Amino acid sequence: MDFKVADLSLAEFGRKEIRLAEHEMPGLMAVRKEYADTKPLRGAKITGSLHMTVQTAVLIETLVALGAEVRWASCNIFSTQDHAAAAVVVGPDGTPDDPKGVPVFAWKGETLEEYWWCTDQALRWPDGTGPNMLLDDGGDATLLVHKGVEFEKAGAVPSPAEDDPEEWKVILDRLRRTIAEDPTRWSRTAAGIKGVTEETTTGVHRLYEMERNGTLLFPAINVNDSVTKSKFDNKYGCRHSVIDGLNRATDVLIGGKVAVVCGYGDVGKGCAEALRGQGARVIVTEIDPICALQAAMDGFQVTVLEDVVETADIFITATGNFNIITAEHMAKMKHQAIVANIGHFDNEIDMAGLARTPGIKKINIKPQVDEWVFPDGHSIIVLAEGRLMNLGCATGHPSFVMSNSFTNQVIAQIELFTKTDQYPLGVYRLPKHLDEKVARLHLDALGVKLTKLTKKQAEYIGVDVDGPYKPEHYRY
Amino acid sequence: MTRTAGKAGTQVGTGTGPEGGLAGGPAIGAPAGAGNGAGAGERRIDWAARYMPVLQAIGARFAAERPLAGLRVAACLHVTAETAVLMGALKAGGAEIALAASNPLSTQDDVAAALAGYGITVHARAGVDRDTYYRHIHRALDVEPDLVLDDGCDLVNILHTERTELLDRVRGGCEETTTGIIRLRRMAADGALRFPMVAVNDTRTKRMFDNRYGTGQSTLDGIMRATNALLAGRTVVVAGFGFCGRGVAERARGLGARVIVTEIDPVKALDASLQGYEVRPMAEAAELGDVFVTVTGNRDVIRAEHLAVMKDGAILANAGHFDVEIDVRALGEMAVELNPGVRPNTDEYVLADGRRLLLLAEGRLVNLTAAEGHPAAVMDMSFSAHALAVAWLARESEHMAPAVHDVPAEIDAEVARLKLAAAGVAIDTLTPAQEDYLRSWRLGS
Repeated sequence: MDFKVADLSLAEFGRKEIRLAEHEMPGLMAVRKEYADTKPLRGAKITGSLHMTVQTAVLIETLVALGAEVRWASCNIFSTQDHAAAAVVVGPDGTPDDPKGVPVFAWKGETLEEYWWCTDQALRWPDGTGPNMLLDDGGDATLLVHKGVEFEKAGAVPSPAEDDPEEWKVILDRLRRTIAEDPTRWSRTAAGIKGVTEETTTGVHRLYEMERNGTLLFPAINVNDSVTKSKFDNKYGCRHSVIDGLNRATDVLIGGKVAVVCGYGDVGKGCAEALRGQGARVIVTEIDPICALQAAMDGFQVTVLEDVVETADIFITATGNFNIITAEHMAKMKHQAIVANIGHFDNEIDMAGLARTPGIKKINIKPQVDEWVFPDGHSIIVLAEGRLMNLGCATGHPSFVMSNSFTNQVIAQIELFTKTDQYPLGVYRLPKHLDEKVARLHLDALGVKLTKLTKKQAEYIGVDVDGPYKPEHYRY
Repeated sequence: MTRTAGKAGTQVGTGTGPEGGLAGGPAIGAPAGAGNGAGAGERRIDWAARYMPVLQAIGARFAAERPLAGLRVAACLHVTAETAVLMGALKAGGAEIALAASNPLSTQDDVAAALAGYGITVHARAGVDRDTYYRHIHRALDVEPDLVLDDGCDLVNILHTERTELLDRVRGGCEETTTGIIRLRRMAADGALRFPMVAVNDTRTKRMFDNRYGTGQSTLDGIMRATNALLAGRTVVVAGFGFCGRGVAERARGLGARVIVTEIDPVKALDASLQGYEVRPMAEAAELGDVFVTVTGNRDVIRAEHLAVMKDGAILANAGHFDVEIDVRALGEMAVELNPGVRPNTDEYVLADGRRLLLLAEGRLVNLTAAEGHPAAVMDMSFSAHALAVAWLARESEHMAPAVHDVPAEIDAEVARLKLAAAGVAIDTLTPAQEDYLRSWRLGS
């Protein structure tokens, strides 16, 4: 078995954590049980490109339990948990000397060259064939296949432009080498792929773009926009991890503090609720009148950042936009105000502007916690260098949240693999009854008893007794 | 000795001097007490009794043990259905009772009328003027009481100032509210108090249920009934973060309001702050609030300087005991136009610059005036402690100094125990080993 991870001796620790996670991922475990006999993914060769964490290990082993052959790479150079990667390679029945698990190509702290090499390996079966299914997070595996096909057809890999990002040069380099080795590999691979299931907003965005300009090569299911994915990730996941991140980073008492949450979308709603739950007085900033009104009706003070920048204790950005907290704002903040971002990218807080402030000093308190001291002596505390604080200072989404999104992934894989004919080229969302199924699979673990519609009640509101219960436009 | 109708002219509730106990009329709140043919007051009392299982159990016990046989009780309490159930329990214990209202606006007239039918003399009517209010208290005192029940200390105060001829007979009494207890402690400190008073307000069960949960819910009920205002998204200013204020703040937040707390006590202010409330001085809060609730027990909490900066349409409500927390006189002087009763219990004061301020219940207890006071289940707790304290006083008053006394912890625990039993809640008991552990100071880990 070919693989590349940091250290197989970490497998035992990884296995212990996987066992704990399995208990907190009832959806995946229910799917394993449901399909134990029929093994609907028998014959599936799945390439996964998704953060190689403990929770992902449970996903991978679920795919294997359903009959799939799997190869895996991470979708971020820093996000691999090396013990999880080791445990997946060793497998439940193997040993570090005799690994019997799944080929994983991932370790924490890859270079960009290594990262794209790993993605390439995950897309390459030992017999020279490729996958027939992709499971993507951010669309990097999909991108490599599509660009490979494009350049094979063009007969050459273009040279990068001077101002292209570093990563693009690395991708071109990787493709140049693979096409030199085998000039039809990517075309053959693409032809064999029945479809891709995509985990996140960024990847989904790329898929819709390719669908629009006619370059999409195989059907795709947008898992990101399942209710049981986006609500759980964004609202409940952040509601959990925003507090975890603050506590681990600073251990500051949240009760009694004034916390400003910038943005009242799903992420902001989760953060505001969690901070209030800890006894903070929460103030919300918004640009969207609907979300602002929601915040007000939920009892939060809504105002502009300028009004509270000098008096608040904790600032959390959750907008999905850039330059929300500027260097000018930070200069006016209270001594030891805490500034953190929980939005996807690291540009919501103007870190570059902060660093350019004349006379400013940065004192590292501990990993992911920096004190920035202004020339007048007052300082602020910035978490995770302005990157996602729930991942940087804590461990991101807990297993139960990931169980929801990953159960969507498995069900989407089964859909695309077994009902290929029903999904002609295009980007789809998981049908609502499957979204409902994912939720249903998590109810028992929480002791939830669901009421069942009578036939007459179902007729009265015009739905089937077994769902789906809501129209497509319903907002939950 | 006159305890019958007609003589005083103003009372609506009348009754004949009972021969004692249940024989004087039907049992109050008994399941068969109010059938379909019963009047509004009887139905109301019967409804309250359903939610007062502890007091009913105590009433049944009193009927058997007759701890108050031969004693006369003068009571000054809010004349509501719940009070009626308390009166029933005391009467079952053998007391002869005369009841006056402890607030000129809070009397439920139908209940007052019904009480007469149960053999309890009532001197109370909703909406009386100040003179009549005090006259009613005098009439209740005419019973020449052995025991007094007070809510706000007005009755005890009159007894010590205008009716001193009755003092020798009085063995002791109970006081229901914080405000009354503050007055009693001042009296005791001056050496003026002539008989023992039990602070039934100061039990853990009463503070928890009555002040926090009772005032919390009923104050918002009163504001909503009076104004029909949506509270979600509005700023509610709660003046005072005692047990009542905390209850009001919690309920207001639960309805989606942004809550600002004002306080003078740093400990309470810190508590409010750590619970996530915005704490500001009234001078700042006055400009921000849509709804103001005073629950401080002090006077002039909202005064001219605050009224001067309030928003157009601001709602002013008091849930503290007396009508002194909002300076209604100042409001009247500032107003160029008064539109009384724009809605029931809502008066609109128009200021010179056109702003309109809405005063609820004339600045008196909004939860009793615009709503129905504490839910019966809440009053079950305080009145049960009250009833047990009265029996304790009847037994022990000879040995008690003329001072303010706490309710014995056993009574408090007994009330909580009965309430849990009625709710079907089981709790743990200490094992002998655990009891030993708690007693011992030698055992560590």
